[in-house]
Amino acid sequence: MALIEVESMVKRFGGLMAVNDVSFVIDTREIVSMIGPNGAGKTTAFNCVTGLYPMTSGAVRFDGHIITGQPPHRITRLGIARTFQNIRLFSFMTALDNVMVGAHWWMSARVWDSVVKSPRARADEKRVEARARDLLEQLGLTRYAGSYARELPYGLQRRLEIARALATQPRVLLLDEPAAGLNPQEKKELMALISRLRDEGLTIFLIEHDMRVVMEISDRIVVLDHGVKITEGKPAEVRSNPQVIEAYLGQGAAERMVDA
Amino acid sequence: MPSLGLGRLLTRERVDPTARRPRGAGTSTFWIFSIGSATLLFMGWLLPWFVRPTSSGIGYSPMDVVSSAPTGIGTFLVYLLGIGMLVMVLSPFAELFYRARKRAVPERLDQVRVLIAVFGLVSTVVVFLLTRVIQEEQLFGPIDAFTITDSAVWLTMVGYILAATAYGLRGWVIRRPTTAFAALALPVGILLPLMFHQAPVFILWAAGSLGIYTLLALGLNVVVGFAGLLDLGYAAFFAIGAYTCGSLASPKHSIHLPLWVLIFLGAAVASMFGAVLGAPTLRLRGDYLAIVTLGFGEIIPDLATNNIGKLTGGPDGISSIDQPIVHLPFATINFGINKEWYYWSVLLVVIVVIVLLRNLEHSRVGRAWVALREDEVAAAATGINTTSTKLLAFAIGASVSGLAGAFYGSIVTIVSPDDFSFSVSVSILSIIVLGGIGNITGVIVGSFVLTFVIFWMLQYLNEWSATLGQTINVPSLGNIDYSQYTYMIYGVALILMMLLRPGGLIPSRARQIELTSGGEEESLAAVQGIA
Amino acid sequence: MSDESPAAADGMLVDQRGLTSRSHRGAASSPAVVATSTVLRQLYSLVQRYFPQILVAGIALSILFVYTTGGLTLMGEQIKNALVLGAIYALVAIGYTMVYGIIELINFAHGDVFALSSFYALIIATSFGGFVNSLATGSGIGLLVALVILFVTTMAAAGFTGMAIERVAYRRLRDAPRLAPLITAIGVSFLLEGFMLVKFGADNVPTKNDLWITGTALTLGKVSIAWTDLFVFATAVALMFTLGAFVRITTLGKAMRATAQDRNASLLCGINVNRTISATFFIGSALAAAGGIVYSLNYHSIQWSLGYRLGIIAFTAAVLGGIGNIVGAGIGGFVIGIIYVFGGQLAGGEWSDSLIFAILVIILTFRPTGLFGVDVTTRA
Ligand SMILES: Nc1ncnc2c1ncn2[C@@H]1O[C@H](COP(=O)(O)OP(=O)(O)OP(=O)(O)O)[C@@H](O)[C@H]1O
Ligand SMILES: [Mg+2]
Repeated sequence: MALIEVESMVKRFGGLMAVNDVSFVIDTREIVSMIGPNGAGKTTAFNCVTGLYPMTSGAVRFDGHIITGQPPHRITRLGIARTFQNIRLFSFMTALDNVMVGAHWWMSARVWDSVVKSPRARADEKRVEARARDLLEQLGLTRYAGSYARELPYGLQRRLEIARALATQPRVLLLDEPAAGLNPQEKKELMALISRLRDEGLTIFLIEHDMRVVMEISDRIVVLDHGVKITEGKPAEVRSNPQVIEAYLGQGAAERMVDA
Repeated sequence: MPSLGLGRLLTRERVDPTARRPRGAGTSTFWIFSIGSATLLFMGWLLPWFVRPTSSGIGYSPMDVVSSAPTGIGTFLVYLLGIGMLVMVLSPFAELFYRARKRAVPERLDQVRVLIAVFGLVSTVVVFLLTRVIQEEQLFGPIDAFTITDSAVWLTMVGYILAATAYGLRGWVIRRPTTAFAALALPVGILLPLMFHQAPVFILWAAGSLGIYTLLALGLNVVVGFAGLLDLGYAAFFAIGAYTCGSLASPKHSIHLPLWVLIFLGAAVASMFGAVLGAPTLRLRGDYLAIVTLGFGEIIPDLATNNIGKLTGGPDGISSIDQPIVHLPFATINFGINKEWYYWSVLLVVIVVIVLLRNLEHSRVGRAWVALREDEVAAAATGINTTSTKLLAFAIGASVSGLAGAFYGSIVTIVSPDDFSFSVSVSILSIIVLGGIGNITGVIVGSFVLTFVIFWMLQYLNEWSATLGQTINVPSLGNIDYSQYTYMIYGVALILMMLLRPGGLIPSRARQIELTSGGEEESLAAVQGIA
Repeated sequence: MSDESPAAADGMLVDQRGLTSRSHRGAASSPAVVATSTVLRQLYSLVQRYFPQILVAGIALSILFVYTTGGLTLMGEQIKNALVLGAIYALVAIGYTMVYGIIELINFAHGDVFALSSFYALIIATSFGGFVNSLATGSGIGLLVALVILFVTTMAAAGFTGMAIERVAYRRLRDAPRLAPLITAIGVSFLLEGFMLVKFGADNVPTKNDLWITGTALTLGKVSIAWTDLFVFATAVALMFTLGAFVRITTLGKAMRATAQDRNASLLCGINVNRTISATFFIGSALAAAGGIVYSLNYHSIQWSLGYRLGIIAFTAAVLGGIGNIVGAGIGGFVIGIIYVFGGQLAGGEWSDSLIFAILVIILTFRPTGLFGVDVTTRA
C-alpha cells in the first residue's frame, strides 16, 4: 500500500531547478533510499516533503491525503518525522529534553494545566518522561540523559536525533545521511537499528552516500541527478544501471567504496 | 579583551561552562550568595542612610553604634557581625577566583564558613539576650513594638542570621538555589514595610517601582528570555493595562470597578492586544519583530496622546483613579493612606506570577519555547506549532504587563502617555539584561538593582549631594540634576552587559552560551522563503 | 490522545499508537475558524502581492484630497515640504541601509548620531569666537567657505563617532546572534541621548546657523521656494549621487558590496573586512551628519531626543526601499517624506508619526523586502 506518493515534484531556486519533475512512491514498511551525487537535490526533496520548502509545483500525498502546502508541524503530526543532514538538535537542552520535545505535540496537558501544574500535567509529564527515558535506553543513550545535546559525541548526536524523531510517533521516518561521519561499527549498529524500526512497523525513507549501507538495507532505491530522477529499482538493478554508473558511480565510486 | 582580573574571571566562566554538568553546582549559586548577603548588608547598614540621610534616620543607624562605642559587649558584637558579613560577601568571590584558576577550593574555606555561621548565630543570640531579655545594654533605646524593625543594627542581625544560615548550609543552597534564594528574599520582602514604616516614600517606591517593574520584567522575560523574541514595545501593554484601570476606576467615565477585577481585566485586554499584534508578525525574523513591536510601542502612547475616541484624556491622561478601600470586620484598610497594603498586594501578585511562570518554564510549553529559540526549523520539524507557541509567549508576557499596568494606575492614581514611552520599554529590557536573560532569579535581582538606582537613588541624590555640598562648602554639588543620568545608566548597563557578560549577573547557563557562541539562527519563514 | 492508554510497550522503539492512520489528528480547528483563517490568509497574500500598488494609490489619493480641499497652492507648498523633509530622511536612511546591508544590524544609534551631529554643527558654527558664523553671514564667498568648513568638519566628526561606536560596541558581537548587537545598539542609542541630555539640556536648543541662508529663490505660482529648501534638496541629491558613484566605482565601494554579499568569502579574497565595515560606518554617519546640518539650517532648533523618532522614520524609509538597497533608501526617504506630510495633512499633524510607525509595522509584516528589495530565496 502506498504511504507516500510524490507526484511530479518541482522545486526551483531562482534559475536553478533543484528538483525537476520527480515522482516516486513509498510503500508501507518499506525501506527506500535516495541516492545521487552532491547537489542532486535530495535534501531539497526531503524539505519539500516535510513542508520546510514550499514546492514550485507538484503534489505529495501521505496516506492518500494531499499534504502539499501544509505547515511542517502539521506534517510531522500526521506521521512524517525526519532527521537533518547537518544535525539540528537543540544544543543547550539535555538529551532527555530533546526527546521530550518530540513528544510535545501529543502531550495532553493544556496550557492551563501547565500553568498551575495540575495533576494532569504532572501525570502527563511523568508518562512522557518515562517514554523518553525508554527511548534513550534502547538507543544506548541513558548515560547522556542529563547532558546537553551538544556535549554528546557526534555519532550519538545522530542517534539522539533519531530518538527525537521517534518520540513524535511517526509512521514514516526520513533520515538525511544518517551514516555520515559514523565509524564502521556505528554504521553496522545503524543498519541494525533501521531494520528493527522497519520490523516494528515503521516505513523508512533515507538519503545516503554510503553505498554499502544503501545496497544492504534498501528495498528500493531512487536515483537523482541534477534534480532529475534517473532511475528507480531494486539495489541490484540500480547497481547495474549504466545511466547510474555514468552519472554517479563513475564520478568517484572508488573513493566511496573505500570510504565504506 | 581587557586583562583586568575581574574581566578574566568573567570570561573564563563564560567560555567554560559546557564542560560541566548542566544540573547541580552552577556559578549562579555564588551569585546568589554574594548578591543575597550583599543585599542584606546593604539593607542593614547603608539603606537607612539612603532612606533618610539625616541622623534621625530610621531608628538607630550604624553611625549611632559607632558613636557610642566601645561601651559594651553588645556594640563589640555588632561590629564583629558586620565584619563577618563582609567576609561572607567576599568569600564566594574568592571561591569563584579559585575555580577560575582551576585550583581546588581549599578545605579550610569550608571550615571557616561553618565557623562564621556558628559564630554569627551565637553572637546574635547573645546580643538579643543582652538587650531584650536582660536589658543590660542600652544599645537600642527604648524597646517598643517597632524597635526591632526600626533599628539598622537589628536589621543587620536579622540579615546576618539569614545569610549565615544559607552560608552554613552551603550544600543545601547549592542543591536548591532557588529555594534558598526564596528563603532569603521572602522574609525581607514581607517585612520591608515594617522596617521602613517611618519612610512611606520608600514603601511607595517598593510597591510602585520595585514591585511593578519586577512584574513587568517577569513578563518581558517570558517573551525575550524564554521564547527568545525581542519585544521593544513592551510598555505598550503596560499602557493598555494602566489605561484599562484608569478608564474603569475613575470619575473619567464614572465607572468604578474594584482593583481586583481590574487587574484581571487589564491582563486580559493586554493579552488580547498582544495576540492581535503577534498573529501576523510573529513569523518575522528576530530583528524585524523587534522593530515591529517598537513601532507598536510608539503608536499606543500616541493614540493616548491624541485622545482617541475621547477615551484617554489626551496628553494629561486620566487622573483621580480609585484607590481601594477594604472594609474588614475589625478594621478598614484604605490603600491610599496605608501604602504598605499596595506593597503587600503587589508582592503577593509577584509571588503568584513567579510560581506560575516557573511552572510554565518547566512544563511542555517552556520546553517548546526553548526549542523554538534554539532552532526554529528543527522545532517545526518536531511537531511544534511555531506560530501559536510564540503567540502564547507574547500573550502571556502581555498579560503580565497589563496586570502590572492596572496596579500601577491604582498606585499612582494618574496615568498619562508619558509614563509609557520607549524609555520604559528599555528600562524593562535593561532589567532583564542586567539580571540575566531567561532567569527568573536574575530578573528579580536585576529589577531590585535597577529600580533602586533609577527610581530611588537618583531621585534623592540631589538632596544628599546638596547636604554634602553644604558640609564641605561646595554648594554647586546641590545643583546637579542626577535624574538626567537615567538614560546614560540604561545605555551603559546594556552595552557593558552585552559585551562583557551577556548572560547577566545571574545567568541562565544555556541562555548565556547561546548569546555568546550560538551561531546565526535562521527563522522558519526565512527558510521557507516567505520573509 | 488524552486517554491513559498504555504507552508503547516496553522495549519497542516505535510507538505503536502512532502507526494508525490520522489525517485529522492535531488539526482540531472548527470549520468556522478554518474559514476565517483562510479568508485572512488570502487577504494577507493579496496585500502582500499588491503592496506597491496599494501604497502608490494611497499616496495619490491623499495628494488628490489635499488638492481638492486646499487647492493647488497648498498642494505645491506641501510637496515642497515633503521633498525637503524627504531629503533629510533619505540621508539618514542610507546609513541604516548600508550598515544593515553589510553586517545585518539595525544600527539603533544611527538616529542619535544624526542628532549628535546637528549639535556638532552648532558647536562648529559658533566656534573660534563665532568666526565661522561671521564668515557665513558676511558675504557670498564667505558663506561658501563657511559651509565647506561646516560640512567637512561635522561630517568627519560624525564619521569618526560612527567608527568609534562600531569599534567599541559592535565589532566584538559580530558573530553573536543578531539580538545581542541589537540590544547593544539600543544601549549606544541611550548613551548618546543621555549624553546630549546632560550636555545640552532638556530644552530645545536654537541653532546658530539657521540664518545663514535666507531669502526666496523662486516662486512657482503662489508657492515660494526658499534658498534653504533648494539647498537641502540639492545637497541630499548630490551626496546620494556621489555615494552611488563611490560604491560603484572605487575599490572600497566594491569591497563593501563584496563584504555585504559574503563576509567570509571577502575575507578569503584578501579584503580587509574590518576596515571595510569601519568605512561603511564612517560614510553612513557622515551622511547622517549632512542630514543633521541641513536640518539645523532649515528648522531653527534641535533637541537631545531629536534622533529617536526621526531615526525610526528614516529606518522606515530604508525598509520601504528594501533594506540593504542604497538607491531604495534614497527613494524611500522621499516617499516617506510625502507620506508624512500628506498623511499629516489628511489626518491631522499629530497623527503623522503614528502613521509612519503604522507603515513600518505594515511593511515589515507584509513585505519585509520593501519595494525594491531582493527576494530572500534568491539571495540565499
Ligand atoms: N535554500 C536554497 N536556496 C538556493 N539554493 C538552494 C537552497 N537549498 C539548496 N539549494 C541548491 O539546490 C541544489 C540541491 O541541493 P541539495 O541540498 O538538495 O543537494 P543534495 O542532493 O542534498 O546534496 P548533498 O549530497 O551534498 O547533501 C544545490 O545546488 C543547492 O545549492
Ligand atoms: Mg543533502
